[in-house]
Amino acid sequence: MNEADYKELKKGGMMRQKEAGLFSVRLHVVGGQLTTGQLRAIREAADRFGKGAVHLTTRQGVEIPFVPADSLAALKEFLDLSGVGVGVCGPTVRTVTACQGCRVCPSGAIDSPALADAVDREFYGKPVPHKFKVGISGCANNCMKAEENDIGIKGYVEPRWTRDECTFCGVCEAVCPTKVVRVSEGDGRVSIELSGCIGCGDCIEACPTGAMGEGKRGYQVFAGGKFGRVPSLGKRILGVLRTHEDAIAAIAAAVEFFRAYGKPKERFGDTLKRTGIPALETYVMERMAKTS
Amino acid sequence: MIPLLDITGDVCPMTFVKVKMGLAKIAPSETLNVLLKEEALKNVISSLKAEGHKVTKVVGRVDVFLLVVEKCNPGK
Repeated sequence: MNEADYKELKKGGMMRQKEAGLFSVRLHVVGGQLTTGQLRAIREAADRFGKGAVHLTTRQGVEIPFVPADSLAALKEFLDLSGVGVGVCGPTVRTVTACQGCRVCPSGAIDSPALADAVDREFYGKPVPHKFKVGISGCANNCMKAEENDIGIKGYVEPRWTRDECTFCGVCEAVCPTKVVRVSEGDGRVSIELSGCIGCGDCIEACPTGAMGEGKRGYQVFAGGKFGRVPSLGKRILGVLRTHEDAIAAIAAAVEFFRAYGKPKERFGDTLKRTGIPALETYVMERMAKTS
Repeated sequence: MIPLLDITGDVCPMTFVKVKMGLAKIAPSETLNVLLKEEALKNVISSLKAEGHKVTKVVGRVDVFLLVVEKCNPGK
């Protein structure tokens, strides 16, 4: 097998192991969700074609290591028939990670698995200048580490204060982790500096009377994050997006921007260092205005 | 006299466990005063709301707060 063949196999999720002739086969997992039927098939596949073990990856994926080169085709066929996809590697849109979101988690503000599925359907394995990772956190607790991804999404709950039931007790101000809530009983007001609000909902949860209620829920977008050798955190871009469709449109526009301006072997964050974040924001907003 | 429960020395989940024990000792619609630290505010108040009790008053602004809690009355 020559280098070109190895490269092609790698793109298709079959990674050459240290020991010649063996491969670790990456599977297609979206947001860490697998059915028990898929798990049974993976177990069977690891027994038959590997060494009876799997590796759980850092991005909620599964790999079957120790698969001999001459078993790759049979393994792939077996997985296909069992409803388990084979993964991707190389310069492509990678595994989309997600938490369990608002349908399962009490803290969830958005339906992270649904967004992960949508992004996966549209972009998984599609070519881009360099690896491109998308991670979706359902709320400000950020279990999926949005800022470590090329594009990260984080759920957001906007607090909305109404005077009627407020007793100016000060609890909202006390519990706010970013100290953007100010209670001034003298003026009969509670002000929220929304630009510094992380949308955690603590003030809403803690309010004894319900005066601090839930405004809109939405999606915060972070761009250009990565880990690896030189880690850097993604930067917040755009305002809070209000709909699932807007979130998908923003991600689509960011991928398009990366294709247009990214260089081979350059991560999205490095592209943004050259172009500046405002260039991305303008591009995304123009795209979104066109599609909506 | 309104009973006073001091949970300033406790951490979650004992904070709310003690509040529940305190509420168990009083009758519905009666009141319990709870003295707690700022870090316990959110969890204690949200748990009280979730179980239908009412926080009728909050006193204090820095570090330590006093909650006046009215026990829920399911019959009402």
